[in-house]
Amino acid sequence: MTRTPLRPLARILAARRAGENPDIIERQNLAERHEAERDSARARAEGRLLVLGVVFLCAFTMVSLKMSMIAGSDPVEPRAAASGAQILATRADITDRNGRILATNLTTHALYAQPPLMIEPERAARELVKIFPDLQEERLLRQFTGGRKFIWIKRRISPEQQQAVFDIGDPGLLFGPREMRLYPNGQVAAHVLGGAGFGREGVSSAEVIGVAGLEKAMDAELRDPGRGDVPLALSLDLTVQAAVERILEGGMRLMNAKGAAAVLMDINTGEIVSIASLPNFDPNDRPQPLTTGDPGDSPLFNRAVQGVYELGSTYKIFAVAQGIEERLVSRSTMVDIQGPLRWGKHKIRDFRNYGKALSVEDVIVKSSNIGTARIAQMIGTERQQAFLGDLGLLETTPVELIEARGARPLVPKNWSEISTMTISYGHGISASPLHLASAYATLLNGGLKVEPTLLKKDYPVPGPRIISEDTSRQAREMLRQVVTRGTASFGEVAGYRVGGKTGTADKPKSTGGYYEDKVIATFASVFPVDDPQYVLVVTLDEPVETSGQEPRRTAGWTAVPVAAEVIRRVAPLLGLAPSLSLDVETGTPTGITLARN
Amino acid sequence: MSYLEYKVQTIPSGARKILYANWAIALLLTAVACVGFLMLTSVAGGDFDRWAEPQMKRFALGFLVMLAVGMVPIWFWRNMAGLAYLGALGLLILVEFFGTVGMGAQRWIDLGFMRLQPSEVMKISLVMILSAYYDWLPISKVSRPFWVLLPVGLILLPTALVLKQPDLGTAILLVAGGGIVMFCAGVSWWYFIAVVAAGVGLVAMVFSSRGTDWQLLKDYQFRRIDTFLDPSTDPLGAGYHITQSKIALGSGGWTGKGFMQGTQSRLNFLPEKHTDFIFTTLAEEFGFVGGFSLLILYGLIILFCVASAIQNADRFGALLTLGVAATLFLFFSVNMSMVMGLAPVVGVPLPLVSFGGSAMLVLMGAFGLVQSAHIHRPRSR
Repeated sequence: MTRTPLRPLARILAARRAGENPDIIERQNLAERHEAERDSARARAEGRLLVLGVVFLCAFTMVSLKMSMIAGSDPVEPRAAASGAQILATRADITDRNGRILATNLTTHALYAQPPLMIEPERAARELVKIFPDLQEERLLRQFTGGRKFIWIKRRISPEQQQAVFDIGDPGLLFGPREMRLYPNGQVAAHVLGGAGFGREGVSSAEVIGVAGLEKAMDAELRDPGRGDVPLALSLDLTVQAAVERILEGGMRLMNAKGAAAVLMDINTGEIVSIASLPNFDPNDRPQPLTTGDPGDSPLFNRAVQGVYELGSTYKIFAVAQGIEERLVSRSTMVDIQGPLRWGKHKIRDFRNYGKALSVEDVIVKSSNIGTARIAQMIGTERQQAFLGDLGLLETTPVELIEARGARPLVPKNWSEISTMTISYGHGISASPLHLASAYATLLNGGLKVEPTLLKKDYPVPGPRIISEDTSRQAREMLRQVVTRGTASFGEVAGYRVGGKTGTADKPKSTGGYYEDKVIATFASVFPVDDPQYVLVVTLDEPVETSGQEPRRTAGWTAVPVAAEVIRRVAPLLGLAPSLSLDVETGTPTGITLARN
Repeated sequence: MSYLEYKVQTIPSGARKILYANWAIALLLTAVACVGFLMLTSVAGGDFDRWAEPQMKRFALGFLVMLAVGMVPIWFWRNMAGLAYLGALGLLILVEFFGTVGMGAQRWIDLGFMRLQPSEVMKISLVMILSAYYDWLPISKVSRPFWVLLPVGLILLPTALVLKQPDLGTAILLVAGGGIVMFCAGVSWWYFIAVVAAGVGLVAMVFSSRGTDWQLLKDYQFRRIDTFLDPSTDPLGAGYHITQSKIALGSGGWTGKGFMQGTQSRLNFLPEKHTDFIFTTLAEEFGFVGGFSLLILYGLIILFCVASAIQNADRFGALLTLGVAATLFLFFSVNMSMVMGLAPVVGVPLPLVSFGGSAMLVLMGAFGLVQSAHIHRPRSR
């Protein structure tokens, strides 16, 4: 930039010569320079203003566009899809089939401390220990004074405890509401309900999640906010459940068993009316899992669903029914039962020697291993596998319990002909009592497939046909014979025409082989046989009946009386009236006691 | 280019000055304030005495302040710029130790008759000192690094103090307002481009580091930023205001529900309904038409300010006018964006409409400066 000097010498001298004030020239030049600078600054400033104007305009347009967008939109309430919403939604109640509460929610409080707000940490710690004796005073005090901002003291406290803590009056002791799961019936249906615990936890609320049983298996459904207040109705009947548990416990003690399980199932729908496993627990206060020993001995273990046992002779009816269905035998066909039956190095024996031959019906009634094995040989491996598969005995049950998913029946890796023969009388194959109940229901309800369920069904959904109605009827009649003149004579319950099959299986040793004196005794029954309504399976773990001279362990002496007592007590609760039938021989009514005038 | 280099004979003097004030701006300011009175009456449920009356008194006082400031020659204010800046800075430091904290974060000094927020005073003082600085600085030096760093320092010093309060909204306004004055003064483009690029780069780096080994912020800090940027993820917490105000705006529709008929804003869904969120009431009761009208009023004020600045050959006066206009613009655009969910919530009032004393008085004082620059502009060209 060439700058003109403010006082150009030539002009100054000229001005001086002319007698003018030379300062005027300087002032003129200064003004000119300023004007030039100002003009360039102005040009630049106007460019800047233009840019600024564009920016302002953009902002204007954006604000007014957004305003018009909002104005044009329909007003909507904000959806409750907030991050905290899942935590706020309460868990649905669980009821039995008649709407009685099995699980519900209760608002309690959690206790926490904010040490910066505390006035007297020493006193607070001292008083807290008085209310909660399990707390340690030194530890509390250390926490309160250790510079921490937040400490959980108790996750769940009762209203009385809350009041007591409140009375301490320390502003640093605070409460957060806690929705907790309550099982008002305590131990009843403990294994079904399982239990619930806290998931994600905040100060003002905590997520309740199922930790076992149905609570865990149905967790998503129970927490679904779309359910509203609709409780989840189970197929269980609370009254029946409580009765079954009580009788089973008495039976278990009487028979000196270390565990017991029972399944009572609606024969047509597969609805489980009662399912019990002993020993049990209180889902309000779940015990810790066992750290040593057999997890199967833990009260948490659901023997009815998780317990996969060899169920013994109860399986015989499957082989016989299939034989009749396939027209290989009839009820009166005589089967050679001379033993022992040799197959390679294996020998199959009967519990007693029943002679040379028995009719197919008597094979069931007397429970002949050899007879059943012979029928199984006729059926063959493939057809046996297919039939047991149809009955659901080779897969896990679809019942709504988390434990059921792990309870897969044990079958031989190499299903040879000897396997086929032993499996026919329930050895070399393991399944849970629930499996057995479902299979019996399918076999005995007229032959339609039944899937076990714990959810109340509004109407029966007929499954595919597995066997003919006629075979089903014949199977029931044979099972009735087992009770009237066979191994389950203690199973007779006046008026309810019980049919069933016993099964006594030696318990396998963990080291291989079987125990001599430890058995699983099972009675699988159906009642009433002429109009089948329910299937009941009772299993006792290591029962010993000691009233006789020798300890008796067979199912006929242990599981059967317990099952009979269950039916005797529960059938009226189920709305079954005892039926009158005239005794063929004496012509007097059976099933009731006539009052004598 | 200073004022003194021009002939001053034609500049009005004495009481006649009042005739030469920029009455268009004064009128527009009054119109905006009237919208405010109306809304404050409505928000109080028809109770005129509660907020509208004190607001009116304050506006009257503010109007007198504007005229009084306008009567004083602009060169006096230019000479006072440094003093005003130092005074405001002193107050900011003072308030750090003796101030009262209330309603979130802003701090004030209780003067007895009113509460003074030094940060409000600083907004105007900053514009003044920057204008005076560029008036003094020869144009050839404007883009020299040293002479750029000096005003940057002038901006950042009060910004740091305000951030410490912590008042993010005011800090943003200070930086943006100062930046606009520097921009208008002709500082090279490259400085602005560099600052914007550095800012974008920093933000991009922080966010791209998320989830990697060299993560620059902790996870919870990222989550806080997330909620800050998108409050709808937390509709009951940080996003509560925005959700409610959007409902109000949406339910107003195009023409609104009618005066005193707004439910959303009057039924206490919005805790700040008479201050920062008063725009929701306007939009709910008068709809898009009402909201847009207010926007037009603000736009006109800015337009008149810019026109006055273009006419004004005095560099100090022109920059000052632009600075005040920019401050007003930032005020209402940030507030409206915030209310409509375009920008995060950062506690900025709607100028002249929101209930509040010191903000209104300071703003009217600032427009007094605009008037002074207008009245005393050189006229000899």
